[in-house]
Amino acid sequence: MKGLVSLFIGVFGTFAFSWVGLTVIPNLQIGALNPQMDEEGTDIYPAPKSGMADRGRRIYAANGCIYCHSQQIRPDYASSDIDRVRDLGPSPGPKWAERRSAPRDYIFDRPVVLGQERMGPDVANIGKAAPTEEEKPAAAPATSPAPPPGSPPAPPAAAANPSPAASASPNPNGIPPAYSAAWHHRHLYAPRSMSADNRDSTMPAYRFLYEKQPISGERSADALQLTGAEAPPPGWEIVPTYEAKCLVAYLMSLDQSHPLKEVKTAAGAAPPAGSPPAPPAGSPPPAPPKK
Amino acid sequence: MTPAADIPLKEPAVSAGAGDAEQRERARIDASTRVPVLMFYASAMVWLLIGTLLAGFVSFKLHSPDWLSDVSFLTWGRLRPIHMNVMIYGWGSMVAMGTAIWLMARLCRTTLRHPLLIVTGIWFWNIGVLIGVIGILMGYSTGYDWLEFPPYAAVILLVAYALIMSWAVLMFRFRRGDQIYITQWYLLGAFLWFPWLYAAAQAMLFVVPVQGVMQAAVGWWYANNLLFLWFGAIGLGTAYYMIPKVIGRPVYSYHLATIGFWTYALFSSWTGMQRLVDGPFPAWMITASIAATILTIIPVATVGLNHHMTMQGYFPVMRYSPTLRFTVFGAMSYTIFSVVGILISLRSTARYLHFTEASIAYSHIGLYAFFTMTMFGSMYYIVPRLVGREWRYATLIKLHFWASAYGVGLMSLMLLVGGLAQGAAQNDPSMSFIQSVASVLPYLRGRTVAALLLTTSHFIFAFHFGLMLFGLGRTSTVPTFLNPVEAEGAEPHL
Amino acid sequence: MNERTPDTSSLTRQGMDYGETSDVQEVHAAIQREKREPRVGLEPLSIWLIALYGLAIFTGGAYLGRYSGDFSGDGLDPMGGPPPAKKGGGAQGQQQQAELSPRDRGKKIFAANCQTCHQANGLGVPGQYPPLAGSEFTTGGSKRPAMIVLKGLQGPVTVKGQKFGSAVMQPWDKTLTDQRIADVLTYERSEWGNSASPVTAEQIAALRKELANHPDSFTEPDVLVVPDNAELPGGAPAGAAPPKPGEAAKPGGSPPPPPKPQG
Repeated sequence: MKGLVSLFIGVFGTFAFSWVGLTVIPNLQIGALNPQMDEEGTDIYPAPKSGMADRGRRIYAANGCIYCHSQQIRPDYASSDIDRVRDLGPSPGPKWAERRSAPRDYIFDRPVVLGQERMGPDVANIGKAAPTEEEKPAAAPATSPAPPPGSPPAPPAAAANPSPAASASPNPNGIPPAYSAAWHHRHLYAPRSMSADNRDSTMPAYRFLYEKQPISGERSADALQLTGAEAPPPGWEIVPTYEAKCLVAYLMSLDQSHPLKEVKTAAGAAPPAGSPPAPPAGSPPPAPPKK
Repeated sequence: MTPAADIPLKEPAVSAGAGDAEQRERARIDASTRVPVLMFYASAMVWLLIGTLLAGFVSFKLHSPDWLSDVSFLTWGRLRPIHMNVMIYGWGSMVAMGTAIWLMARLCRTTLRHPLLIVTGIWFWNIGVLIGVIGILMGYSTGYDWLEFPPYAAVILLVAYALIMSWAVLMFRFRRGDQIYITQWYLLGAFLWFPWLYAAAQAMLFVVPVQGVMQAAVGWWYANNLLFLWFGAIGLGTAYYMIPKVIGRPVYSYHLATIGFWTYALFSSWTGMQRLVDGPFPAWMITASIAATILTIIPVATVGLNHHMTMQGYFPVMRYSPTLRFTVFGAMSYTIFSVVGILISLRSTARYLHFTEASIAYSHIGLYAFFTMTMFGSMYYIVPRLVGREWRYATLIKLHFWASAYGVGLMSLMLLVGGLAQGAAQNDPSMSFIQSVASVLPYLRGRTVAALLLTTSHFIFAFHFGLMLFGLGRTSTVPTFLNPVEAEGAEPHL
Repeated sequence: MNERTPDTSSLTRQGMDYGETSDVQEVHAAIQREKREPRVGLEPLSIWLIALYGLAIFTGGAYLGRYSGDFSGDGLDPMGGPPPAKKGGGAQGQQQQAELSPRDRGKKIFAANCQTCHQANGLGVPGQYPPLAGSEFTTGGSKRPAMIVLKGLQGPVTVKGQKFGSAVMQPWDKTLTDQRIADVLTYERSEWGNSASPVTAEQIAALRKELANHPDSFTEPDVLVVPDNAELPGGAPAGAAPPKPGEAAKPGGSPPPPPKPQG
């Protein structure tokens, strides 16, 4: 009998040790973080997501996006995540990130979708990668902010484009500017139609998130602009369902570019932990979508 | 657990046959476990076939993404979690419980009381898995790895588990003899660990959800502990029974067994966070898991040595005994599983292997090459005793073994090498990301070939098992040997 | 799951009772031939195994101690403390890159991407790949070589009096960042006896925007339109180039602002 008692105690003891050590104690350490703010109580980060984006996260999880896309940036000493740029478009797109991810980035996430594999690129900052004038999914034609001085004038060919200033590409196939909401919709609908780089993409198409409907009167404002083999027959159009809009709203909301005081930014100019949280002058501009 | 003083240190190679009383006792025990265990096995086989077909779909769709992708419930992102969960809760857990209950009854030398309650529990478990699968199909996956079933399915599973396992644990109360054999340590541990693990994970994720990244920590703590303390423990316990039983020789060393068990429980339960290496977590959590992974070399070496020394001189028996062949394959894979686990979790290698297919390889080596193969072995031993027939075709068993062994070997190799290629490309920022995808695609096609082999193997086994279930096995006093036994009198006792 | 119904009947057919029963039953052959339930021997531990335990515990403990990040909730960095990765095992690659000069970084990029054609000695392959050493394109103003690297070159070209034209140079704007292009240009313009001004990532970024609408590779006439001594605007004197790849390469995709004050 002595043997049985010690067996029970040991079985409980070893497991309790692991349970306390790996879940309870860490939960005391990082399980109750607050958003970061500066001294005036403004510039709060992170903020809870909007209703649509929050619903979009459920769709993201339920359709298994999590199995191919991570949402965590590893630090520069352990990987080249921060060096990596998104490769679409005529010029190297924005970088994956300016800094590593930290627990505080996720405090409002439920479920948290960190991901464990990268058959597709990391999307922790995909929303930040959007052209800056993008504000809403299925954006209306752009009223873009003034192009930066010194940049070449947008070519006339781009006039038909929703947002000429974001990427000055001529967009021969009518592909929306990279990482805009319209781009995400088209990418979800036809992942391999985006550019030559995308031919090898293993992303499945999510056509069940879109509806084909006859055009009645005017073409819908949010109808997808498709060309070639993907295009619907004349008189028909492809429009996103509410779920697709939520999913894209979620993707557009993903942005970890705001500096955190516990994390160095890639520029290496961030203050050591514990100094005032004011963003240092040398750090890259967070460039959030304009308010 | 004090070893009885009458244990002989060295046993003669061929032991004297057991006495009549003992045989009658075993017959009674087997009769009492017959219906529940066969029900466990039959359900598990059905789930295995479903999961295998899904695995084929998932593997194929990963390199041919446009195939059957336009319907929401056939999309890759839903089939993949269904495949995983069907294999974990449908096949793995059910076959594990079946084998564990049979072993427990045998080792406690007591009949299984209230088998009908267990049968009810089995029905509940099946319904729970089915509801969970439908939930994922409909798009209600929770998004936590290995815990995708919606919480209401988890409640059903927990109720079913309580019905099943309370009676299995109660067998301890009625046990005869004062020894507790090694297998019983592992089984008792698994019986108690699983509900705690599952309930704790459900509570911390759905009832009182923890904040932010802690959800991921709880999720991986759960997944790795499920792998080690549920599947792993039952797998090792089964190997500790089957190997000495088939060759008729005592396990090599009690001391090794003790050390192996306790270090296994202590260290492997601390692994899991290495799956989040360099993620947004305090570094010590991840380092603790990596250190624990390094320390699992202790139970691996100990258990491996114990099994090896037990088998010493008896390896030729694997030529004849299906049980031994599968079980030894599983036990050896346990060593490989742990070594691969150590190699892919160190920070220096995780730089190249994290976020790649290599982690899929790791899960498959653990869940298939180690656990599932051991379970196949135990089924080859147990089923004839429950249905009163011998396995019909030695050829089918051989086919099953080789298709499984080559299948899982090819799959692991493809995913490990592919993961390396993928990781090297991902770590070179001057290569575009799509190149890392392109670099792994050939290996994914190879994996589909492996999936075909495994599908073949499982259908062969299911057919054979079906024959047994419907009473179409051989009626004979001679067990089904894989190869004819040439030497007179050298027949292994299977 | 539909196999379940028949299995009960098949058992009944065999006339075996599956309930709790103490009747003596016909003992099946499988049970008769079975060996005894397994038992345990008492072999002692080998000294080698104990040594292995010690080694494993030492290694695990040392690993835990080294990468513990001081066990703090804020310690995201396994090495702990503010200066990250000064001597970490996995940190070396990044470490080196941060410490290298633009020219050294350029050398590595050259070796990885350019050397196949232009050769390590910068002399190219006669008749196929033009030389870079002493080439008028490389050593003149910085604009011409930057254009060629960004967008590639095709068609006949004359370098140092020799004619080339069979090979096509690919555009690099999609595979290399601004910083990398700047580094490799800096290297090419200062190696093999060349001594032209260094190039910065900002310059490349500006040029990249300028050329964004240029659809395909340049030809020699395209390049010759640009004056031989045209420098990219905003050139910085040597040594002022920031050795921080992260910061410098930032303006890759978004419109490159002159560093704005934060608000």
